[in-house]
Amino acid sequence: MREVVAQLNPLLWRVARAQGLATEEAADVVQTSWLELVRRLNDIRSPQALTAWLITATRREAWRVREQGRRYAPPAGAADSLDAVPDPGPRPGDQLLTDERDRALWRAFRLLPDRCRELLRIVAQVSRPDYTAVAEALGMPVGSIGPTRGRCLAKLRALLAADPSWSGP
Amino acid sequence: MTVPAEGPLGAEGLLDDGDQAILDRLAVLDDLLDPPPPGLDEQVSFAIALESVDAEVARLSEQLTAGSGARSSERTHSITFEAGSRTVLISIVAQPEGQVRIDGWLAPAAALQVELRLPEPAPSRTATADEAGRFVFDRVPRGIAQLLVQPPPGGTAPRVVTPAFTL
Repeated sequence: MREVVAQLNPLLWRVARAQGLATEEAADVVQTSWLELVRRLNDIRSPQALTAWLITATRREAWRVREQGRRYAPPAGAADSLDAVPDPGPRPGDQLLTDERDRALWRAFRLLPDRCRELLRIVAQVSRPDYTAVAEALGMPVGSIGPTRGRCLAKLRALLAADPSWSGP
Repeated sequence: MTVPAEGPLGAEGLLDDGDQAILDRLAVLDDLLDPPPPGLDEQVSFAIALESVDAEVARLSEQLTAGSGARSSERTHSITFEAGSRTVLISIVAQPEGQVRIDGWLAPAAALQVELRLPEPAPSRTATADEAGRFVFDRVPRGIAQLLVQPPPGGTAPRVVTPAFTL
């Protein structure tokens, strides 16, 4: 199980973060989803079903935590670290990336609609056999994940094509 | 750079090399800019290594740190876990030699057995809450831990299990 945890955690982490959770909240949500899974292991028949179940559980749990956070705003002073501030998504990252093309890619990625960013972050993490699981977990018909991914990548490539630091001389 | 025409579209819709290269690079950048916390895998592996799986999962609902000391050892840290059947509140107080005392309350109050799971090779510890739902674990080593609250005897309620937390 330890290997499965190490293999799936980067994916689940992104699923939680894509819902706008701060780092500590996202880590709690990932752990809670695994604990819920343990109770239902007997119902799960394949590795794909396991992945789909965990993605779905992580998204639901992340929504729940996000909605709760909106209803009960923390009292002033309770947040003693930046970690407690909800994160709107991946950081700009320009300072961390030294490669000009990486910076261009990340800039373009951040301009995509939320739905595209979530899908691409997730499909970038998983291998092909899990695509069906991803479709199921994102609530998309299996037949539409390919076209949606294609449209998102096309948007991204159009943005990149317009950026001289990506396609430059 | 031109946008490629999409191939036959389906769950396995075709990606050209450019698309795949972009996805691969995105995964690398994502790992660099927003990595999961370093202890997450260990915490999850520890939390799910339960002997028996029949347990209700309590959600971490509140976490507060109080105290004037700048150092973590001078602070009191409290965590609230909520399950459908019961709420578990603990307060973690620093003790000498890098140990802590855990003061806990169960609500609704009940004299139930509470187990404190610690990472191997440390054995689990057991305490029994008093009628007011209070329990104590003294001189606990810092690190990760997890609480299990046994159900009232004779009932059909499951155990309550908390996520792993850091002392």
